[in-house]
Amino acid sequence: MEFGPILRALLRNKLGVMLIALQIAFTMTVTVNAVYIIDQRSERMARPSGLDEANIFHLSSVGYGNNFNESVASTEDLALIKAIPGVVDVTVMNAIPVSGSGSSTGVGIEPDRPETSVQTAMYTSDENVLNALGLNLVSGRAFSTNDVRRGGRDMERSHSVAILTTALAERIYPGEGMQAVGRTIHSPGGRTMEIIGLVERLQTPWPESSFIEQSMLIPEVVDDGSTLYIVRTVPGERDRIMTEVEELLAAQGHERILRNNRAFEETRENSYRLDSVMATILYVVIGTLMFITAMGIVGLAVFSINRRRKQIGTRRALGATRPDILRYFLLENLLISGSGVVLGAVLTLAFNMFLVQTFDMPRIDWFYAPVGMLLLIILGQLASLAPAAKASGIAPALATRSV
Amino acid sequence: MLKMHNINKVFRTEVVETHALRDFSLHVAEGEFVTVTGPSGCGKTTFLNIAGLLETASSGQYLLDGEDVSALNDFQRAKMRNQKIGFIFQSFNLMPDLNLFDNVDVPLRYRGVKAAERKDRIERALDAVGLLSRKKHLPAQLSGGQQQRVAIARALVGEPRFLLADEPTGNLDSNTAEGVMELLHSINSQGTTIIMVTHDAVLASRSARNIQILDGRIIDDRRAHQKAA
Ligand SMILES: Nc1ncnc2c1ncn2[C@@H]1O[C@H](COP(=O)(O)OP(=O)(O)OP(=O)(O)O)[C@@H](O)[C@H]1O
Ligand SMILES: [Mg+2]
Repeated sequence: MEFGPILRALLRNKLGVMLIALQIAFTMTVTVNAVYIIDQRSERMARPSGLDEANIFHLSSVGYGNNFNESVASTEDLALIKAIPGVVDVTVMNAIPVSGSGSSTGVGIEPDRPETSVQTAMYTSDENVLNALGLNLVSGRAFSTNDVRRGGRDMERSHSVAILTTALAERIYPGEGMQAVGRTIHSPGGRTMEIIGLVERLQTPWPESSFIEQSMLIPEVVDDGSTLYIVRTVPGERDRIMTEVEELLAAQGHERILRNNRAFEETRENSYRLDSVMATILYVVIGTLMFITAMGIVGLAVFSINRRRKQIGTRRALGATRPDILRYFLLENLLISGSGVVLGAVLTLAFNMFLVQTFDMPRIDWFYAPVGMLLLIILGQLASLAPAAKASGIAPALATRSV
Repeated sequence: MLKMHNINKVFRTEVVETHALRDFSLHVAEGEFVTVTGPSGCGKTTFLNIAGLLETASSGQYLLDGEDVSALNDFQRAKMRNQKIGFIFQSFNLMPDLNLFDNVDVPLRYRGVKAAERKDRIERALDAVGLLSRKKHLPAQLSGGQQQRVAIARALVGEPRFLLADEPTGNLDSNTAEGVMELLHSINSQGTTIIMVTHDAVLASRSARNIQILDGRIIDDRRAHQKAA
């Protein structure tokens, strides 16, 4: 219809229009970047840990009495747990993946050259670890009973075998990670490890770490007063078995306490709690901003329509139909939102560049800005629909009746 | 051209019922120049609004150009206003944010006339009222008389058969009013039917036909046999 005249009329009332256009631009900038951040976070949260997540739980046994013998108790416990129908396998471990705490070390192809070493999480466990965690062995072999070294904190551990994640092997041997089996790696303190197997995936205990996919398994069970059991069950039996295991172990009467009996999924969720809280906050911010912007658009539209009631009546008198009037105000809003989202697109990309540089995030995908523009234009049209409909109801007689 | 038979218009509010027109009957032939006078509140604007399809009658029959308009819906009435009727208002009713060109353009836009033809027509209309050179000006940059001439250009640009004016000189001084009247008379002499409401007895006395309304009824319908000088 009448783009030209609407635009020229708008340009004579710059202030209100500019404020709303700015608000739209700002809302778009924040919304698009917030959604982008949420997407980044959800992507992180969605990364698989490598474990059979739905069917795993863990439980710690911490001794307190002088008569507590950790290795006796744990041998007994493992046998008891394994005998429960529905248990696939059970293992002991020094740390839970993605839980937030564990230990790490550096490994490299040359001894005592820390500058060439690669960071990795270090898990110690027994021969059942692959099955108990549900890890996928892609090369080499699993630990055998003979591989597993048992003892106190001060036991001999200068040489051992190791299973690595493919990501870690690839970092150590760029381009030939898959051929790592059989090679020897070194870690600080003169320790050497022969790589005997590779697993597809096993995340570190730290979801925030930059080396989240780089983990190493060592066949070692250390008596240090506390034992962490990781139990894998058949699907659907986890919760029942969790209770059963705790009751069974408690009934053994060892001088120890059982704690932290938790599904792996819950532990994982706790680790990512901050991410989900942040996502919720961002959604609230987006929602609030959208609402305020929509209200601003409604406010401006209502104000400008009330100011122009007589003009609208006159237009009706001169032959404008109701749809013409409706279209006029929707088109007017389209021009305002249109300029807002064009500015918004520029601000969005600028703000994203700032995020990329400051927080080392990957650059925004190309479609975010257009989708954001479309979204805000739809928001603008929806917000001005009711005022525009009201304007179209203004009687033509207002042309002669009002002052 | 215009035939009203027993038109009634009742405004109902919660407290009162106002009979703005009572059994109002009138014929206006093509090419007439009719002035309408009467005291304030007698129903002049109401008559004009019904005649111009801005309001609907409560009862009675109205034929415009031979067509019974009481059956038309809002959309059809808008189209008919756009095509057959030109309006001139007491307070000009120009769009303050649009320049003269865009103001005169308004009715043509709603008629869907092509851009080139619109430009041509607008310039002719502005030229006819002597304001073509100011087409880029805003209404506020014009005097009242000039603004009313723009409004007349806007009313004429669609070449309506029928021109309705509600006190078109009411906001103008007598000299300026004189100019506007001359313009209206010359438009009428080219065949456009004009009905004009006025408070000015002198203007009314000079028209070929004057109708007096009192309390929603026609109390006098006087035809002069020749225009007064
Ligand atoms: N929308 C309305 N609601 C209620 N009453 C109305 C409405 N419009 C007009 N009236 C009443 O109808 C009557 C006729 O009004 P109208 O405007 O036609 O008078 P008028 O002759 O044009 O007066 P004026 O010379 O002051 O313009 C008046 O009593 C007026 O108060
Ligand atoms: Mg009046």
